[in-house]
Amino acid sequence: MNKRTGRLLAGPYLFWMIGFVILPLLFVFVYAFTNSDGNISLEAFRTIFTATNAKAIGLSLELGLLTTVICLLLAYPLAMILNGLKIKSQSFIVFIFMLPMWMNFMLRILAWKQLLNKNGVLNAFLSLLGLPGIDILNTPAAVVFGMVYDFLPFMLLPIYNAMSRIRQDWIEAARDLGAGNLLILVRIIFPLTLSGVISGIVMVFVPSLTSFAISQILGGGKVLLIGNVIEQDFMQGNQWNAGSSLSMILMIFVLLSMAIMNLFQHDEEGTQLW
Amino acid sequence: MVKKTLSRIYIFLIFLFLYAPILVLAVLSFNRSDSRVSWGGFTLSRYVACFESESIMSAFATTLEITFCSAVIATIIGTLAAMGISSMKKRGQAIYLGATNIPLLNADIVTGISMMLLFVRFTNLGFVTVLIAHITFNIPYVILNVLPKLKQANRSTYEAALDLGASPVRAFFTVTWPEIRSGVFSGFLMAVTMSLDDFSITYFTKGAGVNTLSTMLYAQLRKGIKPELYALSTILFLTVLLLLIATNINGDKKVDNRLIRRVISAVIMLALFTGSVFVLVQQHRISGGGDRTITVLNYGKYIDGELLDRFERETGITVKYEEYEEPEEMYTKYKAGAISYDLICTSDYIIEKLIEEDELLPIDDSQLTNYENIDPALIEMSTFDPSHQYTIPYFYGTLGILYNTKDYSEDQVKSWDLIWDKQVSGHLIMTNSVRDAFSPALIACGYSINDTDPAHLKEAQMVLSRQKPMVSAYYVDETANEMIAENASLAVCYSGEAALAMDENEHLKYIVPDEGSNLWIDSWFVPKSCRNYQDALTFLDFLCDNEVALQNFEYVYYASPILYVQTHMDIDDRLNSAINPENRVTRNCEVYRALDNDTSAYLNTLWQELKSQ
Amino acid sequence: MGKKHLIDFVDISKSYHHNLVLDEFNLYIRENEFVTLLGPSGCGKTTTLRLLGGFEKPDKGQILFDGADITNVPANERKLNTVFQKYSLFPHMSIAENIAFGLKIAKKSDAYIKDKISYALKLVNLDGYENRSVDSLSGGQQQRIAIARAIVNEPKVLLLDEPLGALDLKLRQSMQYELMRLKDELGITFVYVTHDQEEALTMSDTIVVMNQGYIQQIGTPEGIYNEPENAFVADFIGHSNIIDGIMLHDELVEILGVPMPCVDKGFGINKPVDVVIRPEDVELVAPGSGKLHGTVISNLFKGVHYELEVRAAGYEWLVHTTKYYEVGQEVDLDVIPFNIQIMHKPESSDEKAVEIDE
Repeated sequence: MNKRTGRLLAGPYLFWMIGFVILPLLFVFVYAFTNSDGNISLEAFRTIFTATNAKAIGLSLELGLLTTVICLLLAYPLAMILNGLKIKSQSFIVFIFMLPMWMNFMLRILAWKQLLNKNGVLNAFLSLLGLPGIDILNTPAAVVFGMVYDFLPFMLLPIYNAMSRIRQDWIEAARDLGAGNLLILVRIIFPLTLSGVISGIVMVFVPSLTSFAISQILGGGKVLLIGNVIEQDFMQGNQWNAGSSLSMILMIFVLLSMAIMNLFQHDEEGTQLW
Repeated sequence: MVKKTLSRIYIFLIFLFLYAPILVLAVLSFNRSDSRVSWGGFTLSRYVACFESESIMSAFATTLEITFCSAVIATIIGTLAAMGISSMKKRGQAIYLGATNIPLLNADIVTGISMMLLFVRFTNLGFVTVLIAHITFNIPYVILNVLPKLKQANRSTYEAALDLGASPVRAFFTVTWPEIRSGVFSGFLMAVTMSLDDFSITYFTKGAGVNTLSTMLYAQLRKGIKPELYALSTILFLTVLLLLIATNINGDKKVDNRLIRRVISAVIMLALFTGSVFVLVQQHRISGGGDRTITVLNYGKYIDGELLDRFERETGITVKYEEYEEPEEMYTKYKAGAISYDLICTSDYIIEKLIEEDELLPIDDSQLTNYENIDPALIEMSTFDPSHQYTIPYFYGTLGILYNTKDYSEDQVKSWDLIWDKQVSGHLIMTNSVRDAFSPALIACGYSINDTDPAHLKEAQMVLSRQKPMVSAYYVDETANEMIAENASLAVCYSGEAALAMDENEHLKYIVPDEGSNLWIDSWFVPKSCRNYQDALTFLDFLCDNEVALQNFEYVYYASPILYVQTHMDIDDRLNSAINPENRVTRNCEVYRALDNDTSAYLNTLWQELKSQ
Repeated sequence: MGKKHLIDFVDISKSYHHNLVLDEFNLYIRENEFVTLLGPSGCGKTTTLRLLGGFEKPDKGQILFDGADITNVPANERKLNTVFQKYSLFPHMSIAENIAFGLKIAKKSDAYIKDKISYALKLVNLDGYENRSVDSLSGGQQQRIAIARAIVNEPKVLLLDEPLGALDLKLRQSMQYELMRLKDELGITFVYVTHDQEEALTMSDTIVVMNQGYIQQIGTPEGIYNEPENAFVADFIGHSNIIDGIMLHDELVEILGVPMPCVDKGFGINKPVDVVIRPEDVELVAPGSGKLHGTVISNLFKGVHYELEVRAAGYEWLVHTTKYYEVGQEVDLDVIPFNIQIMHKPESSDEKAVEIDE
């Protein structure tokens, strides 16, 4: 097997990618730039520039950013603590955070719905402690809650991975050179985990920007995200052209995130999610 | 020390956050009460029911099958690709890795939609399309897990093996494979995880009748979750947990560690594999049942399964029975040519649309011996089928108000006015279906529920906007559960939902306001794609049989057009206006007419505007 | 050397997971001294250095620096800097940023920092490397940058933890000269940890030989080499012939049944002792003219000399000679009294442990 035949091994993959990744995206492209009769037209784009869609995109961006920030704030200290535990097997950590994913995504979100209900488990528990109940179900807050829940591992794992690659002697060297805990965090740990943080941000931001199931379930049908608009366009409204053009707009955000990620990872290979 | 305690507490809270829903499901799985809120004692019956439920087991099997097949195929393609990529020059690698990132980072919804657009162009949506989609998004995970191992692997050892006379294949398996094995395995595991957890992509690429756990749950979420699923989720979780513990306990002892891990992974593989084979065989048996097969498409939970068995037994005709949830979803896919059936049951206005589009075959009622069992009044009311030759009514009902008698009296709810009143703020569940939501609003404005004047629709939208701040949630099928749990005290919903809810909570009552409402009729029709017309009619005739219809009524619990059922049902049920609308009520009601495309699109826009406010 | 003590370890004990690493350890280090802690891995030398650097806290005892107790002063506030075994350069910073790290924390002016960087790079013979990335440097270069990064902070003491361990032989030797030159130019105290006795002998003013948490011997390189105080030191410092002997009386020791005159006194009468004879001190003479008769059993050419193994009186002697001998050739061995080194047999169990360990 010389270099040339070696390269041929990627053949099936190339074929697959062209057939099932590139071609489908071209279909979206074609639908976005045609009308329902199949003629080339910008009609679809005209119809999507409405206050409704602008609002949905705005809300999606807002909730997506909020989710990302909360995930980062939760995951970063967690990664530091986990890293400090010095658990021998790194795969154990990965496993324990991936374990909930083996349970069904729908079931877990549904369970949260039970927990957050006005007469749900959480409020029953709170009232037991004499605390005031919370009533966030069917609000954007519940959607953010659900998204943080679902996407937290995607933020944690890349950061934890980056952090576990930091050698103890770098920290000691910094301390030796006079850096206190805060300076070590700011000057050594954070810059060295930056690529993990960026990965995490992209891995959380993109799905939370485009989620539609969580907003449907935990938002009580009152929170309309861009994903919900697209889903309705395709599954109920029979407006495939408008849905495709909205998808194209969504792609712009996705490509932007990918570009940012690549910018920070010039020396890494691909994503370092796992 | 303080710091240590704080970090412990923090980890504990995060774990609680991650695992709380799983624990809740586990607890609920032992709950005797059907309600998701109150504890009714310990039971294991959910577990029994879970294994007995055909729909759960088949969705579970489909999930495993998709997961396992897609992970295996993705692992093979991905590993080969990784080897190919690693022998490329930097530039080629960059291009390939960039392409690999697309499905990984692209929004699930866009990936799903793009594939759906491709598939419906060339083929029918079904099992294979879901499988292809899963393989596609799994490959990148395999590549990204294998590639680093290949980089670490020493190429010179491979060359040394060749030098020593090994064939390339042998050299690969004896030298390279051991070095990348762990990467391949974790890539496989990653693919399994992603596949198991996926919802969005499956949702868009699945055909009617193919359900993974996720899509089944999403559909059921609206119809109400079966408690059997809590049992399934608990079993799933415990299985995975045990595997995790087993692998980690043995992680300490270095000696047999590898062996044990290998045994465990072999067991998982074997289990997945036998499961898949079993299901494949079973599916094959179902689908390959000879010439006398009819493919029937119906709403979810809309027939007594026993009747299907009985029909097959009595006639020797195999029924390939599939379910769907949203009529619009069915229509969209039907129009895209993605599905072909012999017999379909759906809602009035969809049928009207399909008749206009000349998609149906006339039903020859002379061949139906039980045709006269049907209430002629219902056939008369089927205005969506003006010539009465395309449809057979199946069940019917109304849109009305379900209310809790602890909070409201019958006088208050006699009129739609109540749902626009400030006093219901925070207690009201509004229907999440576009036309049903607009209907009371149009009535409030003094228009017909079939009005198409854009100005009138806009006016109705204003009414709905004013109402929105008072609405606690927009639901369709979750309504019953929310009302049972008394999370709300007033809901706009179908009579069928209402009947279910009233069965569970004695304080609930249903009423169709005096101003009138929607009367809906779900009917069977034969699409042009029908391949077995005769047997399809046999099935219809079977459904119109008096005893069959009664049994079916007792399962579905919606008003039946079969006269025998109306006279032979339980006296309580007969008096229950939710199930059996009185003539006084039906007189004021209207059946939906199909909307033209422009109005339909406009209504959809108004609805989205309302939702985004 | 009459200089005052700069560092004092007073009764330091330290254990990890119930393993006693240092036990009642006492040591002083004088100003401007090049002190090497020498010993096999696990002997406690690195722990001693980490205690001094502030990365570990002793279970018991005190560390004094310039007379002040620094036992509880955190690492970042100690006036000493460390050069780590694995260089430990920050991978996300350029060379200049690495060197400037400590200075920036000390809030020095930009101009000062710039001067210091170019001075330090000159000192380690890497001027012009300011903007290179860490990855682009070889191991030796990285180590020199690590030294530069430490010395720009003008520490009173430079701690070096096996800094040359990862380098190849040639580089190691040239770095040894660099370090000695640096020490002279900077005029500060070096505390050096290594397991390589050659390195220790080449560079140190004082060598502290350690084993299993105890100091075995402290002395100048010559003192340690020529007069090891026990078999462990003798063995660790070089390839010696260490033979059981009996001190018949002053200036006469019996080795392998043969009485040999020596120069040591005061061991008592008929006392068992260890006898150390270095390979280069064994003389090969014609059969019949020496004290022991033997046969050459192996012969290796080592460049400057031949290394022979000679079996004589049941013991395999290591002998260095410049003359060529055939394998199988019969020879006699002789040692002049001055080159016979007599040592006490270890008595305490700790000392025994030392012996077993090696």
